[in-house]
Amino acid sequence: MFTLITLYSTIIPISLYVSIEMIKFIQCAQFINNDLNMYHAESNTPALARTSNLNEELGQVEYIFSDKTGTLTRNLMEFFKCSIGGEIYGTGITEIEKGGAERAGVRIDDDEDKRSATAVHEKGFNFDDTRIMRGAWRNEPNPEACMEFFRCLAICHTVLPEGEETPEKITYQAASPDEAALVAAAKNFGFFFYRRTPTTVMVRESHVDRMGSMQDVAYEILNVLEFNSSTRKRQSVVCRFPNGKLVLYCKGADNVIYERLADGNYDIKKTSREHLEQFGSAGLRTLCLAYRDLSMDQYKSWNEKFVQAKSSLRDRDKKLDEVAELIEKDLILIGCTAIEDKLQEGVPACIETLSAAGIKIWVLTGDKMETAINIAYACSLVNNDTKQFIISSETDTIREAEDRGDPVEIARVIKESVKQSLRSYLEEARRSLSNTPERKLAFIIDGRCLMYALDPALRVNLLGLSLICHSVVCCRVSPLQKAQVTSLVRKGARKITLSIGDGANDVSMIQAAHVGIGISGQEGMQAVMASDFAIAQFRYLTDLLLVHGRWSYLRLCKVITYFFYKNLTFTLTQFWFTFQTGFSGQRFYDDWFQSLYNVIFTALPVIMVGLFDKDVSASLSKKYPQLYQEGIRNTFFKWKVIAVWGFFAFYQSIVFYYFTAAASQHGHGSSGKILGQWDVSTMAFTCVVVTVNLRLLMSCNSITRWHYFSVAGSIAAWFLFIFIYSAIMTSFDRQENVYFVIYVLMSTFFFYLTLILVPVIALFGDFLYLSLQRWLFPYDYQVVQEMHKDDPHEYSMIRLPERSHLSPEEARSYAISMLPRENSKHTGFAFDSPGYESFFASQQGVCVPHKPWDVARRASMKQQRQQPQRTGRS
Amino acid sequence: MSVSGSESAASANKPKYSKFTQQELPACKPLLTPGIVIGAFSLIGIIFVPIGLASLSASQEIVELIDRYDEECVTASDKIGFIQDSKANKACTRKITVPKPMKGPIHVYYQLENFYQNHRRYVQSRSDQQLRDKDYKDPKAVAKACDPEATTGDGSLIVPCGLIAWSLFNDTYAFSVNKKSVTVNKKDIAWASDKNSKFGSNVFPVNFQKGGLIGGGNLNDKLPLSEQEDLIVWMRTAALPTFRKLYGRIETDIMASDEITVVIQNNYNTYSFGGTKAVVLSTASWIGGKNNFIGVAYVAVGGICLLLAMGFVVLYVVKPRALGDPAYLSWNKEAAEYSH
Repeated sequence: MFTLITLYSTIIPISLYVSIEMIKFIQCAQFINNDLNMYHAESNTPALARTSNLNEELGQVEYIFSDKTGTLTRNLMEFFKCSIGGEIYGTGITEIEKGGAERAGVRIDDDEDKRSATAVHEKGFNFDDTRIMRGAWRNEPNPEACMEFFRCLAICHTVLPEGEETPEKITYQAASPDEAALVAAAKNFGFFFYRRTPTTVMVRESHVDRMGSMQDVAYEILNVLEFNSSTRKRQSVVCRFPNGKLVLYCKGADNVIYERLADGNYDIKKTSREHLEQFGSAGLRTLCLAYRDLSMDQYKSWNEKFVQAKSSLRDRDKKLDEVAELIEKDLILIGCTAIEDKLQEGVPACIETLSAAGIKIWVLTGDKMETAINIAYACSLVNNDTKQFIISSETDTIREAEDRGDPVEIARVIKESVKQSLRSYLEEARRSLSNTPERKLAFIIDGRCLMYALDPALRVNLLGLSLICHSVVCCRVSPLQKAQVTSLVRKGARKITLSIGDGANDVSMIQAAHVGIGISGQEGMQAVMASDFAIAQFRYLTDLLLVHGRWSYLRLCKVITYFFYKNLTFTLTQFWFTFQTGFSGQRFYDDWFQSLYNVIFTALPVIMVGLFDKDVSASLSKKYPQLYQEGIRNTFFKWKVIAVWGFFAFYQSIVFYYFTAAASQHGHGSSGKILGQWDVSTMAFTCVVVTVNLRLLMSCNSITRWHYFSVAGSIAAWFLFIFIYSAIMTSFDRQENVYFVIYVLMSTFFFYLTLILVPVIALFGDFLYLSLQRWLFPYDYQVVQEMHKDDPHEYSMIRLPERSHLSPEEARSYAISMLPRENSKHTGFAFDSPGYESFFASQQGVCVPHKPWDVARRASMKQQRQQPQRTGRS
Repeated sequence: MSVSGSESAASANKPKYSKFTQQELPACKPLLTPGIVIGAFSLIGIIFVPIGLASLSASQEIVELIDRYDEECVTASDKIGFIQDSKANKACTRKITVPKPMKGPIHVYYQLENFYQNHRRYVQSRSDQQLRDKDYKDPKAVAKACDPEATTGDGSLIVPCGLIAWSLFNDTYAFSVNKKSVTVNKKDIAWASDKNSKFGSNVFPVNFQKGGLIGGGNLNDKLPLSEQEDLIVWMRTAALPTFRKLYGRIETDIMASDEITVVIQNNYNTYSFGGTKAVVLSTASWIGGKNNFIGVAYVAVGGICLLLAMGFVVLYVVKPRALGDPAYLSWNKEAAEYSH
């Protein structure tokens, strides 16, 4: 009985493991590491596969968890546009606008050389508009507003200048890169802030009196009303002009400023509001600027209150806020600024493609909610049509509880509100899903609420809601929470997850996901060291997932199912023979046939499939991202697929055994001699080797010359082997059984007739199945193949970007016209206040200064420090 | 120099372009388009049907006479006792009428049924080295290879040893056509490779069938094994439990309605395991003996392929399948469902 069982040991494909390891290794070492599409020339970084056993999972990723700073964005703030007195200045086009235009079929050139001569692109400033550069603003409809705008930028801030006091050499130390960008903008507009003393701000103003004039003006700073809490969302400076005029300059979030504007000027308010919305939906971060002229009396009476509040010992912050309210009113709107939080190159397009591929992208960031939402807009994760579910700890009830100060009470209140909103949102999301399935849903939660939502009792609702939503943004989350969210989806949804990040704080998230990706070529190495794959840019995810991942998945599915098939076929022929030997356990095949079947006669072609098979080319994989869904749904490794292979293995083995046996009976050749058992088994084995190798060719989508070589080589190897093996006689292991067998066989017509007949009948079923399947129920990739079957060979068409024939101005206006206009709500306020820098530090009990002044002073003490403070880094 | 040097340093990690690493190897992309499917089926049909018809006609020309004699040749009720009785007269006469003219050479086969020459113990019980090498006398190795028929009762080696040789078929046939006896040529009934290489021309039978139990036929001690073609034929074990083996050839032609008389010495014991025996007379053509299987299979497959080709043509007309119609894409189908 045991002998009988050992006969079927060949059903276990031991060589499968070796073959797959080899295939995966080459896929990584040769294909991923050497892909020129994933080579980043600026940082001289190619992609790097650090493990070789996750290739096929790259083709099945359904959830991507992405860090923000350094991954999606460059942490580079650039002054990009502005609106002054109801007029938009700045002609740049953001990535999101480009994306919108490209979706509509127009490609926009933004080559640097096409821009006008006045265009300036330096750190923090990327702006081009001849109308206001180099003093040209004097000829604009309202030069007064322009001047106030520039003055406000130059005066109302907490930035420290460093280095030589010339516009070229100076560097600005700011608590947030936004502020530095604004001051840099003022410099470029001709209001060069170059020195700060404890009481004055020195500004070198150009073109104020007349074109070309230049004068140094010292503004006395009387009060600074800081940007210190999430309720204020604004910052004001009271200053005295050299001529004694008192002015309050204020900048802040649009809603906060608008509440405090003086009556009148509705036109400007309205157009500015429109501009804010336009900036916001283009993914820009906006701030409103306003000023107020103060009379001496007003100021004096207020200043007393201010001094009082400042010197009070209890509730100082609160009192200061209240005092500030008294003077920050009746403001006059000047305009608004739009700062681009520079995205990494190609991020919106990449996210667009990945979403179309059915991948859901979650942004996990340590930034505050406004910033995170803004980036979500900039990355096209969220747009104005998206329904947003927001769970924030910045609500009035929670704030009230915080004011009362009882930690237990705060926790209870937050938990209760999280629980309620989760439940109602989940209901709403389900309703929306069934009523308007095409409407996109987004879920936004902050770290504090997330802490309670991850509670086991609420976890189910959290997961349910998150999985319904198309995109999820988690802001102000700690590294640990990033990992918790990742494993929540990994374990709860049982989907393949991928994490991508660049910094040490992403390590836990990278390790928690199935596939971890590190952004390489930047300063930190921790993320790369913890990752499975390292790429230089977020946008290379498209290539990594849609091309390499998809192909790897397809190839490995094919390799595994084929291995299953070929071993089952082979073993089943043995099985049928068992019935005819009285179950004695006699081998049908010679031992060497059996041993070498997997090692030589069928080994190489399947590896070729694992390396070279391509259903559609790389460019088509990216053009039809939906093809990726076949991997997410695991279309090619379902029981159905395996059952089909199994069925045909069964069918073929019957053909191999019974047809060969039936045809071999009775005499052969005109001499009438009879064939023996080993003749029949060698005949059957020949048919198996030929058929199994040809079957592989039938399942190939693309057949390179390596396929031909390996298939022909495998069949030839069998014949070569049997020619030699049956020509020699050794006493080992009954080898004499097959002595001269092949020559005897080849002297008969039976051999040739059977060699044609049996493989054809065996493959007949597969061919019929494949034909009907393609004809009646084609897979997506098959349809795409058909659509592009007459395309020229792929390498002639890649890297030929289509150029539009629009002039830059036309393209720009077109891109703007493509923006969503209808009653937009998002205005893009996302000023990074330095208070958040200390968010995690304070949670961990570390005391760090969180006042902008403190941070600024600290920065100024370190004279050598070149890098500005990186704030909001998650 | 320095410029080019810095340039190469700046792109030092840039992967080298090759069609292999960029996965852009030129490849043929076969698509099972309706044309190819119909063409392939038609082609197989067109090729297979003629081959099948040729094989079938060759097979049909062959005249094959099968006469099962195991039942009729033993009249005694105790069949096993009769066949084991070495004294009994086991001659048995069978008469066969020839329906169609048979052109010489006519092959004479014996056919056994339910005889498992492919049983594991049976197949292994032989020593090929002993068969070809007269000096091969390693008792241990022979005993291992030929168990349980390696030695006689007193321990001396048997040549040829093993179950296969021991169970040598030993019925004999004597033919006469129309009362005129014809000779059976027993030369050249084994494959030349067996005769020349596997069985030694200087190895003679020793102690064969001298053990307690007689398994089958005896051998002429004076003839080397390479001359004992019955043994050589027998020792090329059959794949299936029903098998034929070549007995000899009648070189003369036999006319239609001639009567062949076969005098059988019915020695071989198939009764103890319920096997059957038959004598077969068959002419031969290029395809060998009579075997309709290959011809029928070819014609059937060819016919089915032609039918399928026509079926696909009909399908193509009735339910045309536009190639590469984006409407077949699953996401387009979903979108279409939404809009309804």
